[in-house]
Amino acid sequence: LTGKRGISFEEIARTAYDEGRGRLATQLLNYEPRAGRQVPLLLNMEEDEIALDKAIESGDTDLVFFVLLHLKKKLPLANFFRMINNRPVASSLIESSARETDPELLKDFYYQDDRRADGAHVILRDSLAQKDLSLKMEKLKLASKLLADAKEHALEAKALDESAKLLHMQEIFEKDLQQERFVGDSINETIFKLIRMGYSSRANKVKSEFKVPEKRFWWLKLRALVAKRDWG
Amino acid sequence: MAPHSTTIDTAHIKATAQKELLDLLVAVSPASSTLAFMWNLADRLFRYVVPPPTPGAAELLIAGQDHGIDKIFWVEENVVADVTQKNVVFLVRCTVRNALAIAAIYRSSLDATTYVTGEERSTDKPTAHVKSNAKIPGQQFEYNVLFVPRRTLVCEKILEDEGVLGDLTIGEFPLHFIPLEPDLLSLELEDAFEELYLRKDHTSIFYSARALMNIQRRYGLFPRIIGKGDCARRLADALIRMRGEEDASDSSSSPFALAPSSVLGELIVVDRESDFMTPLLTQLTYEGLIDETIGIHNSKIEVDSSLVGGPQQSGVATASSSSASPAAASSQQKKRPIPLNSEDKLFENLRDTNFAIVGNLLNKVARRLNDDYEGRHQAKTVSEIREFVGKLGSLQQEHQSLRLHTGLAEEIMKHTRSDIFNRILEVQQNLAAGVDPSSQHDAIEELIARNAPLESVLRLLCIESLVGQGLKPKDLDNFKREILQGYGYQHVLTLAALEKLQLLQSRTSITSSTSTRTNYATLRKSLKLIVDEVNEQNPDDIAYVYSGYAPLSVRLVQCVIQKPLMTRGRRGEDPSTPAGAGATVNWAATGWRGFEDVLKSVKGKTFDELQRGEEKAVRARNLLNGANEKRVTVVFFVGGCTFTEIAALRFVGRREEGKREIVICTTGIINGDRMMKAAMEKQ
Repeated sequence: LTGKRGISFEEIARTAYDEGRGRLATQLLNYEPRAGRQVPLLLNMEEDEIALDKAIESGDTDLVFFVLLHLKKKLPLANFFRMINNRPVASSLIESSARETDPELLKDFYYQDDRRADGAHVILRDSLAQKDLSLKMEKLKLASKLLADAKEHALEAKALDESAKLLHMQEIFEKDLQQERFVGDSINETIFKLIRMGYSSRANKVKSEFKVPEKRFWWLKLRALVAKRDWG
Repeated sequence: MAPHSTTIDTAHIKATAQKELLDLLVAVSPASSTLAFMWNLADRLFRYVVPPPTPGAAELLIAGQDHGIDKIFWVEENVVADVTQKNVVFLVRCTVRNALAIAAIYRSSLDATTYVTGEERSTDKPTAHVKSNAKIPGQQFEYNVLFVPRRTLVCEKILEDEGVLGDLTIGEFPLHFIPLEPDLLSLELEDAFEELYLRKDHTSIFYSARALMNIQRRYGLFPRIIGKGDCARRLADALIRMRGEEDASDSSSSPFALAPSSVLGELIVVDRESDFMTPLLTQLTYEGLIDETIGIHNSKIEVDSSLVGGPQQSGVATASSSSASPAAASSQQKKRPIPLNSEDKLFENLRDTNFAIVGNLLNKVARRLNDDYEGRHQAKTVSEIREFVGKLGSLQQEHQSLRLHTGLAEEIMKHTRSDIFNRILEVQQNLAAGVDPSSQHDAIEELIARNAPLESVLRLLCIESLVGQGLKPKDLDNFKREILQGYGYQHVLTLAALEKLQLLQSRTSITSSTSTRTNYATLRKSLKLIVDEVNEQNPDDIAYVYSGYAPLSVRLVQCVIQKPLMTRGRRGEDPSTPAGAGATVNWAATGWRGFEDVLKSVKGKTFDELQRGEEKAVRARNLLNGANEKRVTVVFFVGGCTFTEIAALRFVGRREEGKREIVICTTGIINGDRMMKAAMEKQ
């Protein structure tokens, strides 16, 4: 029968399944080229993994998603994660959709898969979205702690610590020098603003605190003085 | 109906899309009622199919008014202002975000119904189809959603979870390719790059396959599918699979449906991932530079109205009729959208040239135009004067367009003359040419200290990483610190994303991974990526688009369709002799043949698939259409292409004019900044 046009193996398989011959139905379904028809029946027959694989094979991400939503509802979360773990197409779909709708799920997923850096990034994203400064810092520390465990992320972990330190300094600057906003600026911007406003000792403090290289500092100073039109 | 054309008719694609949309709208509403019509601002796509109410709006809006479209809104801030009509139609892409937005609008509109009840509406029409909600008196709305290109289970699930699914009528509008130019089809999926390579979400490949399938349905199968890259392979697999599915469906419409085409030649699929470097370099053609400095979206740019002169007339820059659409007056802002396409003849001549010669060309046109105007003095007799007046319209139009492009060129000049721009360009060219990267580090550090745009700095570092197979760990850490301190610690995320994209990596992580990467150092020689003395005035090689660097992606295409030229170049003979002159070797060879070794140093899978059909069907088709000597070669870029690549392919196309026609397809138009923005966190 193969190769003939217009033959629906899905219908044959469905009949076989209805007759109680599950194995035969699965085998028959292999001949059905239209994934859109294979998958629902496979789910019906509780052939979850095969259904997922067939959906992935089809390249139709919506179909994959359909299976995933079905499975997520049906299975305990740990089992669900295990099933998608070794299927990159499935796990990246869950990742990208959870990014927009369900960050908690994402955290669980990364934790379970031991992907510390990715998990830390979710928390960092959280922190960036926070308006409240102390909450922001708290999340920063959490993210940094997660990163610090792995050697290859030492730089990132340190950067996040620095970031917390900078926020703290900026908060003080804002209190002391009421006319300017600092929180959220980068180190370069902070130094630039301080020099332009004429607080060069504070600028120097930032420079030494964060080990800003001499060359960059002088460029910043030059630009800030020009902006201030201070040709002295 | 079998088409008898010898080329892909892009106008047909547009016409079909417009007709389908109108049919959908008619189906949604009874012929005489009026719709409020909305779509998502983020989806600039629809400005093409349904142009916004600005001067110069094309056919469809007018047609749409005949079909009762009353007002058009962009869905923004989840608030729908001022709905006067009973029917509300959302036209949106089926994304999670859009589905959530619709649900929010719908619910907020329920709360605000009291506001709408003030609307007076004749009630002599039967209102049976109006959703009955007895609690709210007065005006009821009918909500319709048209998902593009299809309704997805995901979106329905979201609408269901939000509890609004039952109150919406959902349809789909299968819009895939949007013909930007007769030789350029784009899916205009702006996020395709990010989705494919960062999120590993292959939805856009699926839509690409559908779009190509539509072409195959009309013109027959591509006899050959050639490609390079993993995503390209997926696309080819999806196409082959869809053919199988089509065979299985019962609709045996035509006996030789899906037999190899007599119009189409090969389909060449290029994966963006196999050549990341090209879009990272600053494009140096006129259109490319406009995209780099101002940004082109859906063949339009937004410029200061001062640049184009009078507020109303400037729409004449294109030939399209400026209609007095209802909301035209309301859209008076400082920035004005200007269409950039081949309807503007001057632009068509300028767009693909190297920017260095644009000034000269503009000057020439100005002189000629002046002469033409002066011609009026020679007009002595009545008939001569009449003739001159007849020409006047087109002269004025040309004048307008000249003014626009002189203004644009000046804008760009301001930019290209700046110190920072030239620094960036210098570093780029050095890196591309293979200069020791560490010699460029001072310049990059200086750019950071001088607060050059972050995108530009990252592009430079990514180029270094691509060319040099990663950065030395020490250098990479140093630059990471510079960037975090210079642009903010939130870019920890950006840097991580660039690493995931394999754009910015440390050398150690590259040597430990097993996957092959594009090796520009070897390819530079074997494919002659660097051409030292490139003629910008009168280009003899595609390298003119980057003033000396030939895009690898287009070189790969040349390996398929310009074998003699490419082999000559490799043997070191004079590459400037035109193709086909004395070609004997390999002339008949097809596919990748002859370049297998070169392809090994390009990232991703290599493939070459033949699509055959039943003998009978092939013969029938050939009998019907006559075997064309000249075939259409379709070049498809998965993950986006740049304007420079388009220009380079047009250049190749002109050389091959007698033998084939090249049509370029892509998931979207991309440039280096857009690539970097994909890695950055969206605020």
